[in-house]
Amino acid sequence: MIKNAFKRFYLILIVILLYAPIVTLIVLSFNRSKSRSKWGGFTGKWYLSLFENEAIMNALYNTLVIALLSALIATLIGTIAAIGIHAMRPKMRTFMLAVTNIPMLNADIVTGISLMLLFIAFRFSLGFNTILLAHITFNIPYVILSVMPKLKQTRKSTYEAALDLGASPLYAFFEVVFPDILPGVFSGFLLSFTMSLDDFVITHFTKGPGVETLSTKIYSEVRKGIKPEMYALSTIMFVTVLLLLLLINITPDEKKKKSKINKTCNQKFRNQAKRVVRTVVPATIVILIVIGGFFYKSSAGTSGNNKVIVYNWGEYIDPNVLDLFEKETGIDVIYEEYETNEIMYPKIQSGAIAYDVVCPSDYMIQRMIQNDLLAEINFDNMPNYKYIDPTYLEHSKEFDPENKYSVPYLYGTVGILYNKTLVDEPIDSWSCLWDEKYKDSILMQDSVRDAFGVTLKYLGYSLNSTDLDELSEAKQLLIDQKPLVQAYVIDQVRDKMIGNEAAIGVIYSGEAHYTKSENPNLEYVIPKEGSNLWIDGWVIPKNAKHKENAEKFIDFLCRPDIALMNFNYITYSVPNTELKNLIKDEEIKNNRVIFPEASDLINCETFQYLGEENDAIYNQLWREIKSN
Amino acid sequence: MKNKKILTGPYLLWVIAFTIIPLLMIVYYGLTDTTGSFTLKNLAAITTPENLKALGLALLLSLVSTLICLILSYPLAMILSEKKVNQSSFIVLIFVMPMWMNFLLRTIAWQNLLEKNGVINMVLRFFHLPEQALINTPYAIVLGMVYNFLPFMILPIYNVLSKIDKDVLFAARDLGANSIQTFSKIIFPLSIPGIISGITMVFVPSLTTFVISDLLGGSKILLIGNVIELEFKQGSNWNVGSGLSLVLMIFIIASMAIIAKYDKDGEGTAF
Amino acid sequence: MSNKLIDIVDITKSFDENVVLDHLNLYIRENEFLTLLGPSGCGKTTLLRILGGFETPDSGNIIFDGKNINNLPPNKRQLNTVFQKYALFSHMTIAENIAFGLKIKGKSKNYIKDKIRYALKLVNLEGFEDRSPELLSGGQQQRIAIARAIVNEPKVLLLDEPLGALDLKLRQDMQYELIRLKNELGITFVFVTHDQEEALTMSDTIVVMNQGYIQQIGTPEDIYNEPKNAFVADFIGDSNILSAVMVEDRVVKMLGTTWKCVDEGFGHNRPVDAVIRPEDIDLVKPGEGTINGVVSHLIFKGVHYEMEVEANNYTLLVHSTDMFPVGTEVGVKVDPFDIQIMKKPESEDAEAVGIEE
Repeated sequence: MIKNAFKRFYLILIVILLYAPIVTLIVLSFNRSKSRSKWGGFTGKWYLSLFENEAIMNALYNTLVIALLSALIATLIGTIAAIGIHAMRPKMRTFMLAVTNIPMLNADIVTGISLMLLFIAFRFSLGFNTILLAHITFNIPYVILSVMPKLKQTRKSTYEAALDLGASPLYAFFEVVFPDILPGVFSGFLLSFTMSLDDFVITHFTKGPGVETLSTKIYSEVRKGIKPEMYALSTIMFVTVLLLLLLINITPDEKKKKSKINKTCNQKFRNQAKRVVRTVVPATIVILIVIGGFFYKSSAGTSGNNKVIVYNWGEYIDPNVLDLFEKETGIDVIYEEYETNEIMYPKIQSGAIAYDVVCPSDYMIQRMIQNDLLAEINFDNMPNYKYIDPTYLEHSKEFDPENKYSVPYLYGTVGILYNKTLVDEPIDSWSCLWDEKYKDSILMQDSVRDAFGVTLKYLGYSLNSTDLDELSEAKQLLIDQKPLVQAYVIDQVRDKMIGNEAAIGVIYSGEAHYTKSENPNLEYVIPKEGSNLWIDGWVIPKNAKHKENAEKFIDFLCRPDIALMNFNYITYSVPNTELKNLIKDEEIKNNRVIFPEASDLINCETFQYLGEENDAIYNQLWREIKSN
Repeated sequence: MKNKKILTGPYLLWVIAFTIIPLLMIVYYGLTDTTGSFTLKNLAAITTPENLKALGLALLLSLVSTLICLILSYPLAMILSEKKVNQSSFIVLIFVMPMWMNFLLRTIAWQNLLEKNGVINMVLRFFHLPEQALINTPYAIVLGMVYNFLPFMILPIYNVLSKIDKDVLFAARDLGANSIQTFSKIIFPLSIPGIISGITMVFVPSLTTFVISDLLGGSKILLIGNVIELEFKQGSNWNVGSGLSLVLMIFIIASMAIIAKYDKDGEGTAF
Repeated sequence: MSNKLIDIVDITKSFDENVVLDHLNLYIRENEFLTLLGPSGCGKTTLLRILGGFETPDSGNIIFDGKNINNLPPNKRQLNTVFQKYALFSHMTIAENIAFGLKIKGKSKNYIKDKIRYALKLVNLEGFEDRSPELLSGGQQQRIAIARAIVNEPKVLLLDEPLGALDLKLRQDMQYELIRLKNELGITFVFVTHDQEEALTMSDTIVVMNQGYIQQIGTPEDIYNEPKNAFVADFIGDSNILSAVMVEDRVVKMLGTTWKCVDEGFGHNRPVDAVIRPEDIDLVKPGEGTINGVVSHLIFKGVHYEMEVEANNYTLLVHSTDMFPVGTEVGVKVDPFDIQIMKKPESEDAEAVGIEE
């Protein structure tokens, strides 16, 4: 008895371990607050808004279509291959099975990278098709390994008997062999479907612009904070599967109570239930995909030429702006996001994907100009360009000397966000980032230039320093700081600060307004040593295929009403002369974090591109810090 | 149809196009520099202190999580294999079910559980126990690895254990072995193929992950997977990235060799 | 014969709600070759597994050599089992398999070596020490399983349908082999089978079981010649089971006429079953027998001819060394001594209920 109790206890313990995060996610799906760190009360609204969120529905649709297609094709190829392998001589069979094992045993990252290299080398444009090919590749082994054991169990004699009775080999196969291996084929299919659904890494490396699966969508949202609709969607998917499984399995418990005769009845019922489920599962999937089709509207369709491929920071535009643009101009927007300049740059440089309009930061614009990656913008097509604040056009000259290649989009400063209740004294200097008091309460930016910029400013140097002594001094400081740092993050600073997880975080000024509204104890400050004034601007890569559409797009964003929409959504400062007039809220109008005055920016500098060699030095030093 | 071997044709082409050639491409990139000439520099990149450290740490953490997975899974698989057939298939499904919730979301949810103000610390506080710093530590990464890859250890071990003929165990008892001897002399040796396959299924993805260390390590802890991901996605140095991938593949190939040795049927015991 | 070695007292066992053994009583004598015979699902294997210690009875006791062993785990019992599918340890060599039990008992290396050689010789597989069990044929695996069990010198060897998987010739060889082994070892064999011929060939005692009840216990001759009910009669060998009415002692009415028999005590005009073995029916010239019939089928079976005779709307199975071609009219004659009268079961369930000792 004790032994059984212990066994049960152990089982329950493991189940808790496995399901704790899932319960967490389900709880989060009912959380009124957008931030995952704060419980804002119960709500079901995300379940409704989910169906209006086109981006998520598109991702869902892509995920399901890719899972279904890749599982189907893999099942077809895999089953046929398994029959062939089964007929081989042992030596050859062993070899084939070893080859089959490669994608299964190989690291996802290596498989993903190898396929990416292949696609780029053979000029496949990365997109839906490449993801599909990759998924088929890693799914086939699951099918083969599911079908092979079933093949082994089938007796050759039944197949031969069928031939003897006059069946053609094909007929004999489908009537005699196939029913026997069907369970294997079916479980191979389901396994493939699940694997494809759950894959992130391989998709991450093989996807292209405008195509997001749920996984990649989630990953790009991680830094910003996951949209609550995503929790709702996963909850729905999970519960659906759970219900289906319960339907198949609930009967065995009941049958104990019933007599012998009922038992056979029950068995029948169970079989029926199984059969129902086996038809219901695929039917549900198909229905889901058809429904998804309505949301999908072929917006990410590769067909049609009147489109513009946009590559932007995550959460860096109001989605309604994109809809409005599509409606007003009839141009399809294919929209993709990146997390850092450094992630974006190689994609542009390799030219594997021809983006039409990109939004890099100051120093990266400079680098792209120097490397001849950008096209000159034709301002004749842009009547709304006149609304751009000349102050920031002036600042832009630091990286785009003639204002030929870029149009400022958003700007801001880098500063410290601190929690009034968790610090002892008013914060006005970078020095607090090195204060032992705040050990494990400091959130540092996870990007080379920002981390070094902060440190160099603290030391009193330029944040564009290339002096090796200064840099190594900064490196040492950053290494010293590491034990104090709770985490290196980018946009996650937001959620963590809102959730009182840390006292001090390095953050972009644009986040200050939103975080304060969620947690009134938070304050933003530009330290007295000075900081970084940054400008993100729109540029058009040289290999853009829809340059005119790109210009229309940029112009559209310069329109004051659109600028206001974006400001309200992103809460970052927009360099538009009309903006202040459109804002009604006095408090926001006079907010010096959002609209800094010249005196606030005295010690601030813009980042500049330091050349490939210096970049390499920065990267090297940063890696040394990270792995220290 | 007479020669069924021909049926392997489409698959063989597929394997060559999408498995063999891509791997050769990694080899090519890994052994050349940006200009395309041969070099061993990319392989040598592993010897820099920071990369070595990332590799060492990845090895350490993945070994620890593999071990924990094994220790957790074995008793579980034994308990499951004792269950009646239809009951156990349901229970096994319970361990596969979490995969229907996205892998990234599941991992992110651990942030909520582990954070300073997270669920676990709230529970600890409720019982007036000292709070633990969990998130952004190597422990959190190990937890993430164990959590994500545990089913891959449970399933193969469960499969071999449930395939052991009960009469074989009765025979051992019948011949005088007590339950401990039956385990050490019969059950354990017979389950080795499942253990080996489970170990590889957990070790390789743990060794090469970059997502888990990213999400639960607060980017403070760099594993070899992160280094490679950075080379491809940020540093845009595909050659060094490929070189490091080649080094990783040595470990993977070693795992495959071990599997091939134990899995004589060549069928894998995972599913 | 010798003393009781195992006493099985009032054993009941059910799985879920399925009663497999119902208050079963049986004893096994020392040095006996006892066979549990019955169709699949009759409880014979369950009984064997209870003896081996792999199942615990719901109620009742197993007395071994005077001691209750109900709660003794299998490894502490002086019994060894030869399993149906041999249950050899696939990860060990033949020698390691055989040595398994001895190593656990901590026997010396030399002792074990000698024992392995002796056991392999006993089962005619000398020189197989280092092979893997998976590479042996079914018959060879079977012998290894026996060798593995007997090196432990058990008092009782339990055999669970050990010959089921072998082909006919091999099975017959192994039957003699087992008898030889039993005589050489001088221990008790408890043998489970559903093959009546196997049971008749090898056993000292046969226990016929059905649906959890013992139907009859006896020597092979008893069981064959005097089946206690229709089930036993039907299960053991070919037989004609006829619905009949016991007119009075020693007179039975069947096949539309009255016959003389030797049974008494069934009362007057009571419905009964009458069993006549096919070889006990004599075919004579028409009119010379009790009734007349016509031969409707004829098959040559080597030792004898097998015929079917239609008489008064019954079909009788007849074995005879004389041949009567199809269509021949014959007389049917049965020696009163060869008509076995049995009580008719009152219901289907009653048929299964056993006969108390």
